[in-house]
Amino acid sequence: MNCRRAQAALSERMDGEHLSSRLAGAVDTHLARCSRCSAFVRDAERLRAAVRITPAMAVPDLVEPIMAAVAREAHARPAPERPRLAPVRTLRRPPPLLPRLGPAAAGLLAGAVVGSFLVGGPWHRPVGEAPIALADVTRGVVAAASGLDAYRARFSVVERNFDPRVRFRELTLNVWFRAPERFRMDVSDHTSYPSRDWTPNDLSLVVNRSRWSLDGPTACPAGIHSCPEARTVVLNRAPFSSATPVQTDLMVPFGTIAGGQRIRLLGQTRVLGRPAVELELPFQRATPLFPFLRVGGQWRPFFAADRVVLSLDAATWFPLRFEVFPSPSEARDQWELRFGLPDEASDEPVLTVDALEVATRVPPAGTFAIPATGHAQDEAAHPVALDELPKGFAGPDQLDGLDAYRAARTHVAERAGAEQTVVTYAQGLTWVKVAETHDWERNEPYGSVDRHAEEVEVPGGGVAYYEPASEDLGRRLAIHTEEGELYVETNLSRERLLEIVAALGVEAAPLPEAWRVRKAGDGVAVRVSLEEALGEVDFPILLPADGLPAGYVLASIEVVRLGRQSGLNAYFSQRDTELGAQPIRLHLEAAGELSPAPAAKQSAVEVRGREGRWIPDRSQLEWIEDGVYVSLDAEGIPLEELLLVAVSLAPAGVQQEGTP
Amino acid sequence: MQDPDPRTLARARDGDPGAFEDLVRLYQADVYRFACYLTRDRTLAEDITQEAFLRAFRFLGTFRGESRFSSWLLRITRNCGMDALRARQRGMEDRHTVPAPAADPTVRAELDHALGSVTDEHREPFLLIEVLGLSYQEAADILQLKVGTVKSRMHRARIALSRALIDEEETGEL
Repeated sequence: MNCRRAQAALSERMDGEHLSSRLAGAVDTHLARCSRCSAFVRDAERLRAAVRITPAMAVPDLVEPIMAAVAREAHARPAPERPRLAPVRTLRRPPPLLPRLGPAAAGLLAGAVVGSFLVGGPWHRPVGEAPIALADVTRGVVAAASGLDAYRARFSVVERNFDPRVRFRELTLNVWFRAPERFRMDVSDHTSYPSRDWTPNDLSLVVNRSRWSLDGPTACPAGIHSCPEARTVVLNRAPFSSATPVQTDLMVPFGTIAGGQRIRLLGQTRVLGRPAVELELPFQRATPLFPFLRVGGQWRPFFAADRVVLSLDAATWFPLRFEVFPSPSEARDQWELRFGLPDEASDEPVLTVDALEVATRVPPAGTFAIPATGHAQDEAAHPVALDELPKGFAGPDQLDGLDAYRAARTHVAERAGAEQTVVTYAQGLTWVKVAETHDWERNEPYGSVDRHAEEVEVPGGGVAYYEPASEDLGRRLAIHTEEGELYVETNLSRERLLEIVAALGVEAAPLPEAWRVRKAGDGVAVRVSLEEALGEVDFPILLPADGLPAGYVLASIEVVRLGRQSGLNAYFSQRDTELGAQPIRLHLEAAGELSPAPAAKQSAVEVRGREGRWIPDRSQLEWIEDGVYVSLDAEGIPLEELLLVAVSLAPAGVQQEGTP
Repeated sequence: MQDPDPRTLARARDGDPGAFEDLVRLYQADVYRFACYLTRDRTLAEDITQEAFLRAFRFLGTFRGESRFSSWLLRITRNCGMDALRARQRGMEDRHTVPAPAADPTVRAELDHALGSVTDEHREPFLLIEVLGLSYQEAADILQLKVGTVKSRMHRARIALSRALIDEEETGEL
């Protein structure tokens, strides 16, 4: 060991890098004998002290000037151009990929689609004239998802207002799937751009078990149209990795539809000559349907409240058409200005995806090939043979009707050295992931489950902690047991998840006491039951009786203590899916008056016969009621809905809990 | 440095000014501190902070989560800092005057001088890792270097800065 190497290693160790035990030993032996290296460490530590003992730098509050500059920028963007005759494109609706068809030709196209459907199978719904309910759609879609082993489809995509110079873009979307984890999605751009410098939006995403790849133009600043192509490859991908997922909703939208919140059944119709059901939902709730917008390339922006109309084949539940319509609101008009978009009419779709061909045909060999390249990222999931699994919670072959598929050993996030075993089960598009670890040291639920998660009873005994599906993760449970920590995640329903956990036969214990406590600012918050909370705070506890938005349930309660002051937080979360709507937090504490205004933008609102305050940037409604400060906040929930929650608040009594 | 709530980030990307304001509140101190140390000029650092957030707003639609959001933002800050320093240098050449940089009074003078006496190549990784507490990977993302390069520059920065600090203190004691 020479001084240069020793000092390099010492420098790394100071920065928290882990040295192998061999290197650490050699460095320490060298350090003990070397005065130069000892001096290096001493000086480096003095330097660190000099930096860290320096009083914290006073930081000016620049929020106002920054936001003013941002607002100026938004307004200064060139006003949308009025339509004028462009040399390249017509400004009306463009010729679609397939020429607009007359009735006879349309029949032929419908025939082509019908011809390529291989209908039947356990999910097949006989198509009749009987009225259909949203619950029928949900059930049908879930059944279709479990039964889908192979899929092949081609869609046309038309996007409006990508750029003032490119009013319409025409693309083709090709999708291939082979259960459980082979997926490919190619976007080919057929748009005529103003010049050759514009990079076409050609994308290719391939998932093939432990490998993943994405080819497409790299992100480049707005206004620049020549973006270099890039290729990303991920190796040692974890089974059903949430970082590199299979985009299942494009084939059968069961993630989007499960739970049914904020989805409206418009009725039965015919699309492309096939009987179809038409559903309507907000864009933010429909993002899983549009994976191509998220994975890469350049796309126009969409407004969260835009209206998505989705037509599903009434027999197979495959999406036949989905369109995004601008929402008619003032907020959207402002948003259009900000993004330099023209005034978009609410009855003209800004994105239309139409099925041209759908089949349950096995894709040809080679479709999912991912060539090895020099620049690969490593997801570091090391495969474990299913018959070599350590004895644990997960069963060997089958779990509640799903077949054992793939297992891996991975690191527990953010903890070097700690390992977890992940075993996955699959059927069609559906999957279950069971992870366990014996290395968990944090005082909070294991896995991607928040400490405010809802406590649910596991059939067969015990309690576990539940979170609804989000954009990136499935429905999931953290389970604490005497032997170790368990995490179960699935894209199946909440009920199926609980059945699956029951099938694992674990003895689920409540969270240990230490896990119920967290630091909250200068105070301490402790998770308690409603009954405990009633005994601990000296103000009446108000809870919403029936005013919660659809799908919300009380997830958890915590008592917050700061000196002799105490307060209470109650968290309400979605039962099934939290796409586009966040948990609601209710905060109560004894107080005589509202604190001074925390934000510039606020308005006075009448709440329960008192004057309250609405702070839109925080989605927070607050008021004082009989000596109690009450605050309700939830991102993404409009004032009207929070007011309904407020109106329904009523004092909670012990009799409310646990009794039928 | 903490990550923003992905929901806030998504809303900011969708053009929600409230969400973008949340990001400004969350990161303005780090951006300002980094700009301050880079330029050793508080007034300039304020301008850089504003410019960095404005550019972030402009290009937020292109942020795809390939690095952490904080790394992306500090990379923009660094670019703004470089632009500002270059502009100031040009200004000096044009006007042949040297505006006195308003040195930060809260930073120990010796450390300030020591930081001023080493090259950017050493100062930048040191600021990111030692002062802002970032990881090698984050510093590498911001400086667009390999992690190995950041490690070795950090090592050399420690040697150069220790030496400069000792020199400063010895001069100060005379």
